[in-house]
Amino acid sequence: MGQHRRDLGRHISRRQLIGTSSAAALAAVLAGCTGGGQSSAGNGGGGGGGKNGPLQWWDQFRPLTDLFEKDLFGAYTKKHPDVEVERRQMPAADLGQALQIARRSNQLPDVHSTAGLGSSTAALVREGWFQPIGGFVDVAGSPVGDLLYDGIHRFDGEIYGFPAFSGRWHEHAPWFNTALLQQAGVDPEEEPATWDDFRAVARRITQGTDDGVFGMVIPMKEPPFLDTLVNKFAMTAGAPGPGGVDWATGEYVLDSQEYVDAVEYLVSLQEDGVIHPASASMGPRDARARWAAGQAAIYPWGPWFIGGLLVDEPEAVERGVGVWHIPTPQTARNFIYEAPQPGTFWVSAESEQPELAAEILLQMTTREFQAELAAAMDVFPALIDVVADADVHPAYARCATYFQEDIRFGPSPEVGNPGVARVNSEMRDVHPNVGEIAQSVLTGSASDIKGELARYNDKLSAERERALKAVQEDGAEVDLNAWVFANWDPNTDYDQTAYGQR
Amino acid sequence: MTTIQQRDGAPVTGPRPRRRSRLRRMRDDWWIYLFLLPTLVGYGAYTIYPLVASWWYAFLDWPGFAATGTFVGIENFDRLMDDELFWNAFWNSIVFLVISVPLRVGLALALALVLNRKKTPFKGFFRTLFFLPVVTTGAIVGIVFTLLLDASGPVSGALVWSGLTDTPVNFAAEAETSLYSGIAVWVWKWLGITLIYWLAALQTIPADVHEAAMIDGAGAWREFRHVTLPMLVPFLVIITLIDTVAALNVFDLMQTLTAGGPSFSSEVIEIFIFRTAFGATVPQLGYASAAAVLFGLLTMLIAVVQAVGIRWARRRTGSA
Repeated sequence: MGQHRRDLGRHISRRQLIGTSSAAALAAVLAGCTGGGQSSAGNGGGGGGGKNGPLQWWDQFRPLTDLFEKDLFGAYTKKHPDVEVERRQMPAADLGQALQIARRSNQLPDVHSTAGLGSSTAALVREGWFQPIGGFVDVAGSPVGDLLYDGIHRFDGEIYGFPAFSGRWHEHAPWFNTALLQQAGVDPEEEPATWDDFRAVARRITQGTDDGVFGMVIPMKEPPFLDTLVNKFAMTAGAPGPGGVDWATGEYVLDSQEYVDAVEYLVSLQEDGVIHPASASMGPRDARARWAAGQAAIYPWGPWFIGGLLVDEPEAVERGVGVWHIPTPQTARNFIYEAPQPGTFWVSAESEQPELAAEILLQMTTREFQAELAAAMDVFPALIDVVADADVHPAYARCATYFQEDIRFGPSPEVGNPGVARVNSEMRDVHPNVGEIAQSVLTGSASDIKGELARYNDKLSAERERALKAVQEDGAEVDLNAWVFANWDPNTDYDQTAYGQR
Repeated sequence: MTTIQQRDGAPVTGPRPRRRSRLRRMRDDWWIYLFLLPTLVGYGAYTIYPLVASWWYAFLDWPGFAATGTFVGIENFDRLMDDELFWNAFWNSIVFLVISVPLRVGLALALALVLNRKKTPFKGFFRTLFFLPVVTTGAIVGIVFTLLLDASGPVSGALVWSGLTDTPVNFAAEAETSLYSGIAVWVWKWLGITLIYWLAALQTIPADVHEAAMIDGAGAWREFRHVTLPMLVPFLVIITLIDTVAALNVFDLMQTLTAGGPSFSSEVIEIFIFRTAFGATVPQLGYASAAAVLFGLLTMLIAVVQAVGIRWARRRTGSA
């Protein structure tokens, strides 16, 4: 043996030895890596965890981390010890980018939400992102079966997803700090119902609290926040919705008086000096941190507000938090219109474990899990009635009640005509949009609100015309009538029956 | 060393060794290429491939949701020509470059001159102090300065307190000041590294040259103008080039400080590309690539025009 080693040493020079070792090491490194720098072990070549690897799951629901780990994955893997789920949570914008890159490198997780992608699920289904789950589990017969819509959850008769959350929510309920209201002598139970009342209360808070405390905070750094805020205020002023479309004609009305009034109302709040002066530098999470620090009393954000606070600033919840209805211009309240809630999670077309993914997803439809979902105080669960009996903060329960009073489902052109999804995919963004215009006005770089909105409305209409023409030339059967819903009643939900009678 | 000589004394010139063929050399010296391979693979994968790919993508209509794009020729470039926001971002980048580079290079030189003097106290301390921001992450600097420069921050507070302004100012969130805020923060952040370059350059000038100038009666300014500066010109060219390239890579700082806003007032070309590729309702990878390619070409064009201009000016003044 010793002789053999010596012989070997004589035949292989030092250079050759180093070279061969380096080649082997390099080959090992290259063989062990995938394009994303992740080990390919256990990856069956497709996306997700392959056939036998752990089920890969990506989403943006930070407040739901414990719930998912314990009550969804934990409960399932307890019954099925051979199953493993790997979840990655990331902010919505990051998730959108990660999904795009993963899609192009065949590394999509088995299950993911579509946060940050910006596109409609219909467009993603058409591009082949997902696979149907209706063949694996009985979604239609589940407690959320009645919430399924063609063009949103069902495509060509196949069920691809379902709403785990309720669609009856909007992004701008005025959440308030009860301690600051008391300091200013404002009774939280005396709800400011109208825009003028709300202004007056914000002024009272600003004047009645310590220096450096303001009536409200509005994160203006991110135009999407302002976009939804203006849209919601415009709807409280009587604008149709969602989407700023006049359902009688199908035309955009984003330059209507309601939209002008909404932007002017924000300007009036700013001129009153009731908005935190640093608002223009804040994103939504920064604003929540300032609100939690007691620098502003009111923050108009979504139902997930308390759930988010409990994760990052729990002391702010203990101090006292309440919620009002979103104010309207007059005492007679107009509704906020929302589209039916799209599917929450989708099974990637690349997944090699779609049945397992579908089974786990179906667990989210049970009343027990929906009650747990409510307890996490993120977006309301699809079975919104469970909130009343769930272990939630009273303000969260109150918010659910308010939203049921304030919100109606408006028409969704994608449900009415599948070709609309193709038009939406073809449409390019038009700038400056409503949120960007509001930002310009509030930061002093524009003042002609009506003119700016009219230019945007015209450019958006022209872009839809162009997109319509492009997809028509490509064979899609869709025209402007797809945006016309003559039987829309502003006071009721536009439901499956209404689509049928259209 | 021995030399074989013929009997008549002339050195023997034996047959010249045959030159090995390229293939033979590669086969014999394979290990050289093996050691080069990691660098070649890395450079190819992370520099050459993205460069070539971005050129190819620029000719595609590629919605980010689709797995592939479709060839559309120069349509993306056509659209860019009429895209006001592209030109807005382009000019913002140029303004950033034109203001920030001379500022950074000039300020760093001034500081280096001070810190290079024998009489300056605490030189090491000050060098460290100026270098600290360099090693801080750009995104963190952006976030911190968002707080420092907002209307309730210390900068605005100091200005109001001193009576220089009546109302608080959101430096990074007002259209008139957002881009310049970004420039100021960028110069502050990177001043230290340019300072180090200049200090290194100053130390190449022999002390006796300074002494000779002093003996000749040159004051500080004349010594700088006629002795130091001419000897620093080669360094000036290199340092300006490095800083120019750096001024076109400001994404992390600007995205966290202003996100290009408000109203696109501080949107530099990198944020435009990022927004188009990832932030749009339907991401447009081809269009974003075309923007990157066009910006690269226009920047090169400006650089060439600048170089030609400098040569022309030198010839005209006879300083070439």
